[in-house]
Amino acid sequence: MKIQSMKELIEVCEREQKTIGEIMLMMEIEKSGRDKETIISMMEERLIKMKEAVDSGIKDASTAPSGISGGDAVKMVDYVQQGKSLSGNYVSNAMSFSLATSENNARMGVIVATPTAGAAGILPGVLFSLHKNDGTPYKNLVMGLFTASMLGFVIANRSFISGAAGGCQAEVGSATAMAAGTIVELKGGTPQQAVNATAIAMKSLLGLVCDPVAGLVEVPCIKRNVIGTSIAFSAADMSLAGIESRIPCDEVIEAMYRIGKDMPRTLRETALGGLATTETGKQVKERLFCKKS
Amino acid sequence: MEFQSCFDIIGPIMVGPSSSHTAGVVSIGKFIYELVGDYPQEVNIVFYDSFAETYQGHGTDKALLGGLLGMDTDDTRIKHSLEWAKEVGMEYKFEFAESCEYYDHPNTTMVTVKHDDRLVKVGGASLGGGLSKIFMINEKMVDIRLNAGDDFTVLARSYQPRGKVLMEAIG
Ligand code: SF4
Repeated sequence: MKIQSMKELIEVCEREQKTIGEIMLMMEIEKSGRDKETIISMMEERLIKMKEAVDSGIKDASTAPSGISGGDAVKMVDYVQQGKSLSGNYVSNAMSFSLATSENNARMGVIVATPTAGAAGILPGVLFSLHKNDGTPYKNLVMGLFTASMLGFVIANRSFISGAAGGCQAEVGSATAMAAGTIVELKGGTPQQAVNATAIAMKSLLGLVCDPVAGLVEVPCIKRNVIGTSIAFSAADMSLAGIESRIPCDEVIEAMYRIGKDMPRTLRETALGGLATTETGKQVKERLFCKKS
Repeated sequence: MEFQSCFDIIGPIMVGPSSSHTAGVVSIGKFIYELVGDYPQEVNIVFYDSFAETYQGHGTDKALLGGLLGMDTDDTRIKHSLEWAKEVGMEYKFEFAESCEYYDHPNTTMVTVKHDDRLVKVGGASLGGGLSKIFMINEKMVDIRLNAGDDFTVLARSYQPRGKVLMEAIG
């Protein structure tokens, strides 16, 4: 089985009467020669590591070695617990979990790259929020990871998933798009609806540049992960409401590719443009690299 | 179709902060560790281009030493690998250069290690998303693909029989 586009993916799902996640699992069995149980347990291991990252990040108020991130997950959790959050439980829990993961990443804690380390907060954010708010069982979350990887697989092979190659739209954009489709599938939406949500989420992040301050995966990366979770939920909601993406997902991915190709090198993970070269961004870089070298 | 498995997308399990500047580099170090069969006693590391610019923030130095000490991408001791190296008596030195004459990629390193009476020089590049490659062993161009989190024991062993040749005795 060879799937190269979202269109093919939907066709295969419909023909085989299977979910996107199940198709990924079948493909992996076929390609790797491993049995189903082994592959599922490998994916379970990744979910467990994600959970551990959330659990440790959520109560860790320490600062990253750079001094420019850390402590915000704890603030967010406090605020949500006081019942103050405006965005509802699904989104505010996802925001907390995603902060926890991305802050943990900045501290050199253990995370799972989904699809990269820079965008590692988004998927765990939405998955564990689903679990917390409607009791989606862990078993389903593992299948959700197969859904996410199938969507990411198509995006990665048609376009790119790293900031250095295609800007942040490729990294946080792809992760958010994967998360949106995954939410839809976990909530019982059809493969077509999941792909729609993927398209809607990706469209809203097209053009986002990669401009990390001092070249570190912290500012603006961590907060972009957080916002990514709310975009993922909004896109999923739209799609589950029956709203369709006017531009088919494959064309959105193609647009992402072209936009990335047009992006100047200064805005692709070189820390030579955008937020990295603001007054404050430059000061941070100077302080960090003079101190240590 | 560069990406072939669901675990290319979901994974590797790794210590942060960067799949290219941290995880991929641990793999390069770990491969050398397997090649030598032990952690080397003396190490000289050259970081090029983007590695030279941003290694501090990404812990690229810690990642490489961690790998050379036999740690995996998800080993939390990587954070303290500089101290670990001192503890076991591994001597290391870092150098920085603009670009590598052997391989054209921003994330490139050249590692020369000494163990007992042997010396080996290995060139590695981290391609992104935890994927890296060894492009040179002792002036010989090679193409060895490393997927972060994989076990390199067998892979490294296949270069070891000739390893006696590859690892030149020090004069
Ligand atoms: S700004 Fe760049 S480094 Fe940061 S998350 Fe986005 S793509 Fe990654």
